[in-house]
Amino acid sequence: MTVATPPAPVRTAVERRPAEGPGRGIKPSGWTGLAFIAPNLLGVVAFTLIPLISVILLAFTDWNLVSGLGGIDFNGLDNFVAIARDPGFWNAVGLTLLYVGVSVPLTVVLGLALGIALNRPLPGRAVLRAAFFLPYIVNTVAIGMTWLMLMNPRSGLVNQTLDIFGISPGWFASSHWALPALIVMAVWGGVGYCSLIYLSALQDAPSQLYEAADIDGAGVWAKFRCITWPSLLPTTIFLAVTLTIGASQGFGLIALITSGGPGDSTTTISYYMYQTGFQFYRFGYASAIGLVTFAGVLVLTLLTWRAQRGRALND
Amino acid sequence: MTRTMTQQRAAKAKWYWGIPLWILAIAFLAPFAWMLSTALKQDVDAFRVPMQWIPDPAQWENFKTVLVGETSVLPAFGRSVLVALLRVAGELITATMAGYAFARMAFRGRDRLFLLYLATAIIPAQLLLVPRFIYFQRLGLYDTLWALILPGMFTVLGTFLMRQFFVSQPAEFAEAARMDGANEWQIFSRIYLPQAAPVLSALGILAFVWSWNDYETPLVLISSPDQYTLPLSLTNFVDEQGSIAPGLTMAASVVSIVPVLLVFVLLQRRFVAAMTHTGIK
Amino acid sequence: MRGELSRRRFLAGAGAVGAAGLLPGCSGDERGSEILQVWGGVPAASGPGKVVEAFQRKFPQYKVNYTRFVNDPRGNLKLDTALQGGLDIDVYFTYTSASLALRAGSGMAADLTDRVKADLELALFLDAEQPRAFVEDGRVKALATAREPYFVLVNETLRRQAGVELPRRWTIDEFRATARSLTTDRTVGAYTVPDLARISLGPDYWYGEDGKSNFDDPVFEQTLATGRAMIDEGSTFRWSEVLARHLNTYQQNSFLKAEFNLWPTAPFNLRYLYDGKLYPHDFKVGFVPPPTVPGGGDWNGGSYNNFVMMNPKSAKTEAAWQFIKFWLTEGSAPMLAGGKIPTLGNVTDDQLVTGLLGKEPDKYFDLDSFRRVVLQAEPKLATDTKLAGFPEITLAYNQQRDLCWLGEKAPGPAIREVYRLANAAIARNEGSA
Repeated sequence: MTVATPPAPVRTAVERRPAEGPGRGIKPSGWTGLAFIAPNLLGVVAFTLIPLISVILLAFTDWNLVSGLGGIDFNGLDNFVAIARDPGFWNAVGLTLLYVGVSVPLTVVLGLALGIALNRPLPGRAVLRAAFFLPYIVNTVAIGMTWLMLMNPRSGLVNQTLDIFGISPGWFASSHWALPALIVMAVWGGVGYCSLIYLSALQDAPSQLYEAADIDGAGVWAKFRCITWPSLLPTTIFLAVTLTIGASQGFGLIALITSGGPGDSTTTISYYMYQTGFQFYRFGYASAIGLVTFAGVLVLTLLTWRAQRGRALND
Repeated sequence: MTRTMTQQRAAKAKWYWGIPLWILAIAFLAPFAWMLSTALKQDVDAFRVPMQWIPDPAQWENFKTVLVGETSVLPAFGRSVLVALLRVAGELITATMAGYAFARMAFRGRDRLFLLYLATAIIPAQLLLVPRFIYFQRLGLYDTLWALILPGMFTVLGTFLMRQFFVSQPAEFAEAARMDGANEWQIFSRIYLPQAAPVLSALGILAFVWSWNDYETPLVLISSPDQYTLPLSLTNFVDEQGSIAPGLTMAASVVSIVPVLLVFVLLQRRFVAAMTHTGIK
Repeated sequence: MRGELSRRRFLAGAGAVGAAGLLPGCSGDERGSEILQVWGGVPAASGPGKVVEAFQRKFPQYKVNYTRFVNDPRGNLKLDTALQGGLDIDVYFTYTSASLALRAGSGMAADLTDRVKADLELALFLDAEQPRAFVEDGRVKALATAREPYFVLVNETLRRQAGVELPRRWTIDEFRATARSLTTDRTVGAYTVPDLARISLGPDYWYGEDGKSNFDDPVFEQTLATGRAMIDEGSTFRWSEVLARHLNTYQQNSFLKAEFNLWPTAPFNLRYLYDGKLYPHDFKVGFVPPPTVPGGGDWNGGSYNNFVMMNPKSAKTEAAWQFIKFWLTEGSAPMLAGGKIPTLGNVTDDQLVTGLLGKEPDKYFDLDSFRRVVLQAEPKLATDTKLAGFPEITLAYNQQRDLCWLGEKAPGPAIREVYRLANAAIARNEGSA
């Protein structure tokens, strides 16, 4: 560690666990804390929260957008009743759960492995780091075009490679393979993002602890489990939450590559919302779907949150 | 153990990890090889099957058209840089302070406020487009770059990232400093902030990318071509039937990667391994 | 190394934020209200720019600003929002049927009836046989700027090699037989099968008399079955190839590379066929009308479209009307380059030839068949007026067609699913209207 301004007390693994909540060691600072938050908070309220409230209101209307502000009619809970009976919505929920449930854990685990690997001394490390991050920075249109070519069932590079093993999925031209194809793309695009953030978090890993563990003769796995992993937990939570939000909101690539098809095999919730709102002009209904999705993701986030807290307290 | 032996072992380990990573990296980069080659193709060759990896003839004019043609992306490029820099600056300042307070300062309702905060990020962004349009028009920000800059300076995700970082910082630093009579601002700026260089770099890179590739926001909030940002200027290469000119689009995409890579390469140096001597083996 | 990001740097950043207020390009709307604002989906460079220029030359007192919107759901959403939000828009274009009905029905289109009636030149727009205008409750709300007849393009070199005559007219069975005989191990006979139901039933073909959808008409299942059979026999593209390569948007490239021969398409795709530099190819293209369907099915399949509308909130209605009329009449020629044939036919045959087929029409086209099919024929064009649930039905049909032609679902069950979904969409939209 290069920063030693404060007298760094000798710490043990137990003491160093993430301190959660206004507990140990934090002096109440009242208004000062709010003052620190104020600039961001005011901006979020002004530019996000105010438009957001109108979305919540619209969920209780049958607004079609084109009829203008005068055409807003409140219809109570009609939209929500309709959603409960809408097979298209439930199909989208299932697909989204599959998409998020597979792509997010896969991306986080691979991103962690890659982050750790890229933190080591490596030949051409800067280039390697950039290579894995590159997929995250390219615009959607270019990515979509490229993967469409790569995943062509007959002539694409992917199937030419898989041919060696005798498999040849139909990818975007098959209602069974289109979602897996999107998952592959999501992982390819997200791993670099995860490894970047893990990489930054790893710079903060407590080196004294590793030294102490070395002296105790701890193995690689023990060191990872007892030192690295706990210090990466907040980062992992961040990644899990943001990737879940991203995966449940992203529709750009779907709009560009499959338009939700073949059939409705890639019509995830976000794409379904896009269809109902922007193509069918059922903006009130789309807002209601958005609100339901919001509730779902919120519950997931709170569960993650609880798990993190429970863990911190039980340590 | 002599020093040279340790060094030799380290050098060996370097390649032991390096070779598989390089192989993986090449697989990761394969799509870019095709992107690059398509940037040099005539439209009619772009989607040829089997995939054509070497453009023939190489259409260097694509880059000429994209850079200096009638629909040059360079002015949009400049606007994108401006927007991205301002967004990154704002994001770094506001998110760091807010994230720090949410993690390391105590006040009533802190965690509840934070969860509420997080919840606003969960509302699908596409639903915000129309209300934002109406709202920004009332504010007089419609069709100005401020419509892109201002919301991007105050984000929940950036705050979340910084909070998660500061949460993992030990509280003892603050206690010791308080005993020395430091005030809250000093504790933040002198003690915790310097620790945050790697994560600030990461946030800087991310905020830059988010701004750089943002398509939906300008699509809805910008309409004059003289206010187009880079992603929007790519629509110049799409006709009314939705057919995208692949050569020009790829050439423009290749051009658009350059500054992001530059930012990345500059900032990734901050991720110096803190554990070179005792790293995870 | 790590302590570098100092407070000073933060202050420098904050200074940059403040300084940006002084930067040009960030300052709001400078456009004067005297300028006529026109929104369209065609890029300015593909014709509209020239129309605007010519208009300003003729009427120096008006200035026009043409804003291009991307003609996809998000781009149209922006136009809708802008119109609703009271943005300064005087004239705009609508390309999709769904938006047409909604915009006209929600007070976003000015009533043009009296202006059209007062103008002899525009009398054709009052024709009820083959409507060229969108009429709602007897009032004219939108005028079609383009006439879009369908035809089948033929790669003449491949046709001659196969020893097939260029047909002057054909039934769907003859079309299929020709596609079969043009299929080789390197070339697919036809890109796809034309929409037989449209040819057979004409306008509003998705809607039955009983307020239900029309997909129980056997011709719809016949369309899917014919398409599937042709895919299976190899005389049209495999649908997996169509989806995997997005050929619905990029057919032109495959046609230019002689991957297939018969191409049922519309004038807007001609632009790819006369540019030898950007789209090099060495064959001539012949024209055949779309096939007919037994039982009196002789609709062309094409339509009048690219509707121009006036914003009722416009404060410059005179200028706006002058511009609309100019675009429809004397100013229409530049749009030919993008394959937009003017609705009123107020261009000469020579203009049509050079406009649609480029500077060297002889080099790239068989002009005899072009004259026969495009200049002389009078195809029956259909313009839809029933549009309830139109986007939902489009989606349902496309989804089921994809599943059917991929071989994942049989034509019967697929079309019954469309019938069910279409009925639901119509009921929902009629119910809420």
